[in-house]
Amino acid sequence: MYKVLGKDIYKDFLKALISDFEFIGPVKKDKAVYDFVPIKNISEMDTNYKTTTIPPAKKILFLPTERLVTYEVGKNIKVSPVNESSEKILFGINAWDINGMNFLDEFFTRDFIDENYIQKRKKLIVIGMDSQPNENNFALSMGTEYARDGFDIYLTELKDKYFVRIGTARGNEIIKKYTKASEASAGDFKEYDRYMDNYRMKFNLNVDIKNFYDNFELIYNDEEFWKKIAKNCYSCGSCNLVCPTCFCFNVKDDIELNLKKGNKTREWDSCMIPEYGLVAGGHNFRADKENRLKQRYRCKLKTFLDKFGKYACVGCGRCIEACLAKINIAEDINSVKKEVSV
Amino acid sequence: MALKIRDADKSNIYVPELARINKIQKVSPTEKLFDIILDDEVKQNNFNFKPGQFVELTIFGLGEAPFSITSNPNKKEFFQLCIRDTGNVSSALHRMEEGSKIGIRGPFGNGYFPYDKMRNHNILLIAGGLGLAPLMSLIKYILHYREDYKEIMIIYGAVNPESILFKNDVQYFSDRSDISICVSVDNPDDKWSGEIGVCTKLIPRVDFPVEETYVVVCGPPVMYKFVIIELEEKHYLPEKIFLSLERRMECGIGKCNHCHIGDKLVCVDGPVFSLWQIKNLKEAI
Repeated sequence: MYKVLGKDIYKDFLKALISDFEFIGPVKKDKAVYDFVPIKNISEMDTNYKTTTIPPAKKILFLPTERLVTYEVGKNIKVSPVNESSEKILFGINAWDINGMNFLDEFFTRDFIDENYIQKRKKLIVIGMDSQPNENNFALSMGTEYARDGFDIYLTELKDKYFVRIGTARGNEIIKKYTKASEASAGDFKEYDRYMDNYRMKFNLNVDIKNFYDNFELIYNDEEFWKKIAKNCYSCGSCNLVCPTCFCFNVKDDIELNLKKGNKTREWDSCMIPEYGLVAGGHNFRADKENRLKQRYRCKLKTFLDKFGKYACVGCGRCIEACLAKINIAEDINSVKKEVSV
Repeated sequence: MALKIRDADKSNIYVPELARINKIQKVSPTEKLFDIILDDEVKQNNFNFKPGQFVELTIFGLGEAPFSITSNPNKKEFFQLCIRDTGNVSSALHRMEEGSKIGIRGPFGNGYFPYDKMRNHNILLIAGGLGLAPLMSLIKYILHYREDYKEIMIIYGAVNPESILFKNDVQYFSDRSDISICVSVDNPDDKWSGEIGVCTKLIPRVDFPVEETYVVVCGPPVMYKFVIIELEEKHYLPEKIFLSLERRMECGIGKCNHCHIGDKLVCVDGPVFSLWQIKNLKEAI
């Protein structure tokens, strides 16, 4: 469903949402850092961000650490699940981060349903908004510069109005209850279409992903190539921490200080750190950093094309910015292509 | 992936079932055999598993780890795990006593030995060290329906006579006339009269016809390389050779991703793979 929202009533719309909902939006933390945090007043918000360090949806839906199970120890052990969630609005998330969330949605509901993820997801009202790509963003090449679904409402800023795409019945209810949006006219569609053409021209970084699927296999055993690519890797896992689609986790059991209660807690893990493939007895199934990086690229750019029909990389460029060793996934995708076609 | 969404089951997939260790037997200097019974009688009776599957075992307050089930799937009163004292969870388990409470999730994994297709075939089972533990479940299953299969041969390699697992079962198998077992040790003692050396050396002696034979292998990663060479030398078919892979498996349900090999996950796509699948999985061996 398509509507338009006048800029004159946009602020009142947000104010009403902020007063009625737990509301999370982008704020400028310091000169260069943006983050999504709870908003109490509209003036705190700054929607002109290009990227955030931590992906907004992942940080809400798949917490860095989360209690899954709690138990009483001692004579009578009692085990109970833990699953805390509350209704929230996530405002201002951009298209590629919505697509990253869509990937996690699919991942955590395939085969075994992860209730801890999906309860939070069901209660998250997503209001998307375009943001401008920075120089490390290759979302256009990955086909994620546009969000087809995953949002309740999506706002695109035109000259004196917002073009509103409504994705769910819940989104429609919110628009009806909190503002006066009118039907989008043929003229509005024209303006939106021009805007999107213009918007897509702003993505300056392109990757040649088309033949990666086959080329990757050809280059897989080329040790020299991978050693060169992973040469400077510190195995620190920063790339995983900032990735909107990385989902690896550990589950650990801890006992509380009173020795009466224990918890199973999950925490984000990283496929780049050496202990990732370590098993009891001391054998490490992926001891070399070049193999770990190679497996990361396979997971991002190949595995889920077979499983879900989409990449597990949205081209946001966060890992490029986070990497202290200047490992650049966009360059590496292109060098696989170059190396093979020479 | 082969698993279906379990719509009816809305419970938290990380919550373990309470269970008790009913019996502990020391089976070698480093391994113990644990009989486990779920507290919930109905769940224990419905605890159906296939040979090759594993459970996630929780020691409350300490941690969780995956272990292959070693008992006969037809035995419903309890199930057994044969565990080596080597990691955090396993060494804590070795310190526990009969009657202790633990948590169990599972069974997990495909446990995909193609039993139906294996019927009317010869079965060659090759186990190295603790690899006999998961295979034991399959051996007992096959023996339960002995008449369905042609010849059955077990090749088992251990480090020394002391470390031979399931000694009673091994003796029982060698006493039976409808199954042959050949045990080889790397380091014999004075009393040892059997084969000496790595168990792969015994493969050339197998004379099962290629078309009518399934091969199942379980052992440490290093053993697989050499076993595969020997099996290929004899032209056994890669789609009729099955191997069980070990990886770090934190969740057992395809979420935590630690057991990724190429595009497969050992916990849901395996842990049992055919050699054909493994040949297409770089890094597997």
